[in-house]
Amino acid sequence: MIETIDLERCTGCGICDIVCPADVIHMTEATVHSELPGLVERRLLPVIKYREHCITCFNCEIYCPEKIVDVHPVVKNRPRPW
Amino acid sequence: MPDLDGTLIDTDVLVIGAGAGGLLAALGAKRRGKRGTRVSLLDSWTVGRTGHTAFTSAHFIATMPGDDIDAVAREIIEGNDWIADQRLVREVVATSAERVRDIEGLGVAFPRDAKGDYVRRPTRGLDSARLIGAVGGGLEFCWRLRLGLEAEGVQILDRIFVTGLMRGTGERIIGAVGIHSRSGAFHVIKARTTIICTNSVSFRSGFARDITGTGTLLAYRAGATLRNAEFSYTRPGAPKFYFEGITFAAQEGACFVNAHGERFMPKYEPLWGDEADVPRIARAMVIERQKGNHPLYLDMSGIPESLHPFFLSSSKVKWMEYFYRKLGDEVKTNMFGKTPYYPLNQMTKMGVRTDETCRSDVQGLLVGGLAQAGCANHFAGFHIGLSIGNGWIAGCSAVEDLDRLPPPRLDPIEVRALHGDTFRAHSDRAVEASDHVLRELQALMFAYDISIWKQEERLRGALKRLETLKDEMAQVSAPHVHELVRLKETDAMLLAAELILHASLYRTESRVSHFREDYDFRDDGNWLCWVDINDVEGTPQLAKTPVPTPLYPVTATRTEPVQRRIRGATV
Repeated sequence: MIETIDLERCTGCGICDIVCPADVIHMTEATVHSELPGLVERRLLPVIKYREHCITCFNCEIYCPEKIVDVHPVVKNRPRPW
Repeated sequence: MPDLDGTLIDTDVLVIGAGAGGLLAALGAKRRGKRGTRVSLLDSWTVGRTGHTAFTSAHFIATMPGDDIDAVAREIIEGNDWIADQRLVREVVATSAERVRDIEGLGVAFPRDAKGDYVRRPTRGLDSARLIGAVGGGLEFCWRLRLGLEAEGVQILDRIFVTGLMRGTGERIIGAVGIHSRSGAFHVIKARTTIICTNSVSFRSGFARDITGTGTLLAYRAGATLRNAEFSYTRPGAPKFYFEGITFAAQEGACFVNAHGERFMPKYEPLWGDEADVPRIARAMVIERQKGNHPLYLDMSGIPESLHPFFLSSSKVKWMEYFYRKLGDEVKTNMFGKTPYYPLNQMTKMGVRTDETCRSDVQGLLVGGLAQAGCANHFAGFHIGLSIGNGWIAGCSAVEDLDRLPPPRLDPIEVRALHGDTFRAHSDRAVEASDHVLRELQALMFAYDISIWKQEERLRGALKRLETLKDEMAQVSAPHVHELVRLKETDAMLLAAELILHASLYRTESRVSHFREDYDFRDDGNWLCWVDINDVEGTPQLAKTPVPTPLYPVTATRTEPVQRRIRGATV
């Protein structure tokens, strides 16, 4: 299941959102301090919106160009036959 | 009546689903169609990155010049206990080398040896068939094909989730409606021919949680006939880690053992042992469980140390590589020792009945991929193998039909009704309620004595429990797009479960992956038949259709030894 995305280092490219097959990551507009004091920068950053629906496919981590996505390998609530 | 607000797309050939089947259907339609034929390929998420083929190692059965085509086709059909479309299977096997060349032409590489021949491996449960695997696995395979299709002028529609098929003003299918799976925007896609290439239905099991197979059930609702609902792909799996590669592991010395350390597979499957096909392993595990010989394990200690890196650093399945790296030493210890294993129902084999040209009973609707019922059992390698073949055939048939069919005409009343059905009134309870229904449905359909080792009373009990889940689901509607997609998928799963249970009750014998504890024998006299299901005013109607055997007559179960060395069977 997806754990974290390091937003400090995120460039906002949106690839993690595009490659997610479970609609877990949503690029969402955020405001951050800009290089010029007094100006607020608006930029798109990823939000882990539906973590519990993550299927642990690792696509977001595989394709993140900055390598800042962390997916935990253990799948919780895996169904069992007995 | 809701007001319409959305997007209209007008095309000649609409392909729904972008796994191996859909990608090849679009390629076939574009290349075989007249110049200027419009082909549109859509997927619920991103074409080339998220179809189920993308998460596999992209190994598939392919023949090469000099291979005995009939030997391969015949053993696949025999391994289906004859529940297969013989002409379609043979055609797919016979043309697989051409498809490999097409795929290679779009930039997908396949490893070759020093002599320049393709590197191929045997697969479980089959003697003559050989697997070929794309460099970079499924992700590379799907992405290269996407780029190739774009270059050839195929319209790619990412993130469109189809919610209904349209009939228009005539008696045939004229496209589909759906929503953008992020924005929720309503889309109407008018098409002269429609090809469904979605996967089979799963219940979000461990291995294949992205598969929900909604396309098959849309076809059913639109009047198509379904078959093979009683068969399933039940694959052994570990509770701690995913492992794609049991086929090759068994070839290299892995085996299944019970709580007493006994290898049990040779007892149940003298011919193939641990290399038996997965449904046979599932059956053996269930009987061992019933005898009290559990827990059961996969024992990989027999794999030579020199081969450990091969299994740990899979460059083919990218997610496996990440998975193993992160679990580190723990998974290494588990993997090459004894790991608890159990069989888990991965997907139903239910698909749409078509002829060998992939045309369904409904005019204008063609079917490829695993949504097409060409086989009841695909072994390791014929899921993608058959999808490549039947997808291509469906694409070629679709463009042949273009000239015969009049231009489609939208029916405003139908479009508004489909719009209304897509967007039901909102409820804030939906997320919790639908997750609850899904968990209950999984508990029902994954139970080994329902899904693998079946019996009349238990199946009837399951149908009764399913009714209460359907009632619960009927109360739920979606508050937002994310949940709307999941709700539609759960709806489809509930219907699939109903059809699976009915078909499992109906077939009173055991065959392929359908094992009845109360009818534990194959009955060719009565059951060399498909169980076909039709929607009659909301109620499934089941009927037998004899399976024709025009190419390969039915023979008794094979007893002669296989040609290649089988570790499991010789111990």
